Amino acid sequence: MSTKNLGDLVNTARQAAKAYERPDLESRLAVVARTVADDRARVLVVGEFKAGKTELVNAILGGRALPTDAHKATTVPTVCVHGEQRSVTLVRAVEGGQEQQQISPTQLADHVTEKGNPDNAAGWSHAEASLPIEELQGLRLVDTPGAGGLASPASVSTMAEMPGSDGVLLVCDAGRELTAPELALVRTAAAVCPTVAVVLTRADLHPQWRRIAEIDRSHLDRAGDRLRAVPVLTTSSALALHGAENDEASLVTESGVVEVRRLLREDVVGGRHARRTRMAADEVLVVCEQLAARFRAERDALADPARAQRISDELERSTARVAALRDRAARWQQTLNDGTQDLVSDIEYDLRDRLRTVTTDAEAALDDTDPAKTWEQFAPWLHQQVSAAVSTNVVWAEERTRWLAERVATHFAEDGEGVLPPMTSPEGQPMSADPVGLLAAPDHEKFGFSQSMLIGMRGSYGGLLMIGMMTTLAGLALINPFSIGAGLLLGSKTLIDERKRALRRRQAEAKQAVRRHVDDVIFQAGKNSRDMLREVQRTLRDHFTSTAEQLERSLNATSQAAKAVEADGAKRTARLADVEAELERIESLAARARTVRESVGPARLVGA
Amino acid sequence: MSAPAPAARLTDQARAVVGNAQRLYATGGPDPATDWARAVLHDARSRLDEPLRVALAGTLKAGKSTLLNALVGERVAATDAGECTRLVTWYRDAPSPAVLREDTDGRRGPVPFVQDREGLRIDLRGVDPARVGRLLVDWPSRGLAETTLVDTPGLDSIRETNSRRTLAFVTPDDRPSGADAVVYLMRHAHRNDVGFLEAFADLARGGAGGLGAVGASGTVVVLSRADEIGGGGLDAVTTAGRVAEAYRDDPALRPLCQTVVAVDGLLAESARTLRQAEFTTLQALARAPRAEVDALLLSADRFCAADPPAVVAEALASDPDGTRLDAPARRALMDRFGVFGIRSATTVLRRGARTGRGVTDSVSLAEELVKRSGLEELRDVLGSRVVGRRDVHKARSALLAVEMVLARAPRPDSGGVAAELERVLTGAHEFTEQRLLAALRQGQVTMPAETQPEAERLLGGDGPDPHARLGVAPGEDVRAATLEALDRWRTRAESPLTSRAAAEVARAVVRSCEGALR
Repeated sequence: MSTKNLGDLVNTARQAAKAYERPDLESRLAVVARTVADDRARVLVVGEFKAGKTELVNAILGGRALPTDAHKATTVPTVCVHGEQRSVTLVRAVEGGQEQQQISPTQLADHVTEKGNPDNAAGWSHAEASLPIEELQGLRLVDTPGAGGLASPASVSTMAEMPGSDGVLLVCDAGRELTAPELALVRTAAAVCPTVAVVLTRADLHPQWRRIAEIDRSHLDRAGDRLRAVPVLTTSSALALHGAENDEASLVTESGVVEVRRLLREDVVGGRHARRTRMAADEVLVVCEQLAARFRAERDALADPARAQRISDELERSTARVAALRDRAARWQQTLNDGTQDLVSDIEYDLRDRLRTVTTDAEAALDDTDPAKTWEQFAPWLHQQVSAAVSTNVVWAEERTRWLAERVATHFAEDGEGVLPPMTSPEGQPMSADPVGLLAAPDHEKFGFSQSMLIGMRGSYGGLLMIGMMTTLAGLALINPFSIGAGLLLGSKTLIDERKRALRRRQAEAKQAVRRHVDDVIFQAGKNSRDMLREVQRTLRDHFTSTAEQLERSLNATSQAAKAVEADGAKRTARLADVEAELERIESLAARARTVRESVGPARLVGA
Repeated sequence: MSAPAPAARLTDQARAVVGNAQRLYATGGPDPATDWARAVLHDARSRLDEPLRVALAGTLKAGKSTLLNALVGERVAATDAGECTRLVTWYRDAPSPAVLREDTDGRRGPVPFVQDREGLRIDLRGVDPARVGRLLVDWPSRGLAETTLVDTPGLDSIRETNSRRTLAFVTPDDRPSGADAVVYLMRHAHRNDVGFLEAFADLARGGAGGLGAVGASGTVVVLSRADEIGGGGLDAVTTAGRVAEAYRDDPALRPLCQTVVAVDGLLAESARTLRQAEFTTLQALARAPRAEVDALLLSADRFCAADPPAVVAEALASDPDGTRLDAPARRALMDRFGVFGIRSATTVLRRGARTGRGVTDSVSLAEELVKRSGLEELRDVLGSRVVGRRDVHKARSALLAVEMVLARAPRPDSGGVAAELERVLTGAHEFTEQRLLAALRQGQVTMPAETQPEAERLLGGDGPDPHARLGVAPGEDVRAATLEALDRWRTRAESPLTSRAAAEVARAVVRSCEGALR
């Protein structure tokens, strides 16, 4: 089932909705059509720094597309996408938007590694490399700066990118088993991403890699159900690249990279496609059901005019119940409102708590040193700590938000029981009563909240780091000229007390800069998470309210149809034939949707 | 060394301080604080007469046990592909081999063991490892004569208790560090690595009179598994050496260690324990056609494959000596030497066979491989900077113990000992040197850019040996160079234009120069 076919199915359903004068259902399908059109799966390549992530990306791509070095690590995330022409664009957030800069692909190393851009001093948020490589079809492969390096303070931000990604490859060395930090990374990834794999690299150097793979397997198995499904793949990038350069396909096969490509193609791209297909087919089925309801009622009434009034009465009762679902006092609305409020305060508390620890540590560190001399090392450390705190907070917020959305969906489905279309999916799960399926299958894009949250967060994230940078610079400006001046002055006067006082002043100023920075971060990140949650709240409310409205409209139309039954026998027979024909048409569309849905197999939950 | 006198005096002074503290705490009632103080002081006293304790620490699978074997020159510590060392294990020189188990409650008992090709197999006989405090291996070896080596479990292990054992030994909370010096192994400098080194050096206490800064002078960082950093190519260790050089200048690592060196521990270990059979196998491999062997060495898997490509199989089978290069033999070779080791060995053997000079027998091969592994450089650094300063490190450990006891088990009558401790701490020029070195490297004291490197060198930053201090080649005239430096630094120390802090450094440099003249 290709994206195009899926698009066709959704568009046919849209035309049907239009033809039956249901613009509300049509606009619902329009959202689905947009989601289906974007078919690139995002995959993050993460791991400790210098683990061979960039080498692995090169091996997957079948050539040295990205720069690698024995010592200089990657400092800027590089997004590889398919394109006709080889080109590289650097992107960074600036006040009020984005700045983009085209560079020649040969200069990539000067911008994305420690070689030309240590500590990512240039502040690029990412580089986008478009490459004419077949393997990239349907993918956005993100090579990230490693975690834990001395020189990549912002590397933890990759964690914040995990929610909403379709796949995560955790790269680690085949020479040793998983370490505790690596296992923690896998656990986070598995909690928020549909496909996660551990990829061992440099198997060519380690005769014992099979043992290591086994040990890792057992570590993952012991670490919980979610991690049991995480595969361990072993690769040798050197072998793959050697094979690609010397045209020896057998070497590429031997390198294990083929397996990774298969995983990306089938599990990640295929999985994303399956989720989208299921989501789109479900939506089409729901629409079909609503369209058909009216004709079914009319048919029943036509067949037995005496029953018409009873049918109509029954439908009106249902309408009233659906109307109650729309009501502000409905249970799902309360769950949503209360839940959002709780979440806002919990997330903010969590953020404050994490950052308070950072501030305490930072102040303790400043007490022991002269900030004028250690600021250069201190500032990156602080960034690192702050971004780690914010990232963890973001991931946690995402998990909690998903849970809230599920609860709201459950309450909506429970209260609407008997009124909501009684539909079952091909694998026998009731669809509208399967909120988890609803959420998981379409990557929550159905509600649009994940996307907007991520965009909001990512934007804010870059923005917040930028702001952070500026405050830091402001702090630095205060400290440095002062210290130089003081140094010159005191060099001749040699007043020890003055010197001590100066040191203390510098320490106090540095501490103040830290506190200011952390305050700004709390303000910015707090505001962002609040905005994000309000957005989630709005989106969920709008989604369910409009679902209820659509239902109400369907029921109204149905009861109208049942009432307006012709008395004339001949006309009635003619109308009955028309109605049967309409029902057949809708049923054939529904059948098409069911076939499409069956073609991708049963749903799997995120992280399962 | 030419000037052992002042350092020896330092240990004597430390011995006196510890002795007085012991006498002080011998009085008084048996309460927990006093008992603890007595135990700490007793340990401090006996340490002064023992060989220097050097701990090998580092992340999981950094190659600590392998490097220990390379340093000893024998396979004593067992190694494995998975996490292997789970207990803190001491290796001490002794007249006869023995293994003792010391439980957490201090009780000791002998433990049966056997030595096989993988190292010592120590049989705990079902004793819960949680009960065991440490293992003591007595092993007659020249490699252990000057230092007691302590192997530790890897940090960052998923089995957290293992990592905690290492932390409790090297950076405990309730007693001075069990190690006088640390060889820290890592693959790349990770933030966690820096955290550990900071805890050992305890720079927070680097202020006047503190001993923290001296700890950094007992730390050597090793980029272990150097072969992998460079991707296993023939120049792998050289590449790793360049990485080590870059780390040496890294502002985060510089104040925390003496220096950074790159070592391929596996190759070093195997070279130092090279067996004749392995030599013959390597020789046969070197005789086989080069292109085929290179193809075989593309990956460890290919090299160990049961059925190598036909061309290779033929080349290997037609060896004139009839050396068998079957799959198990190749596998064994790969486990012992790694891709880089086999590449290096066959390359030098090929050259030796061609020219008839250089590496032609197993002894010269072992020597050449040890050199190529980077072990030689590490041994030089350890010899000159760690063992060469053993008295400073030992005195530091002893005085730290006294300092800790005075702070944590305070007594009204401890004034005398405290004053004596203070006098030694501030008076010992060796400590002053280390303190100022650390201050310079941390940027607490700044000097004009053109004089700072020389100041660091003269203070012993490149090693305490006069040649290293003066930066002259061994055999050259140290005296003339010293006199010249002395003159310059005296002027600098007395110049009114020199800042106060820089003048302090200059005065210390003058003293160091005077010491070098003796």
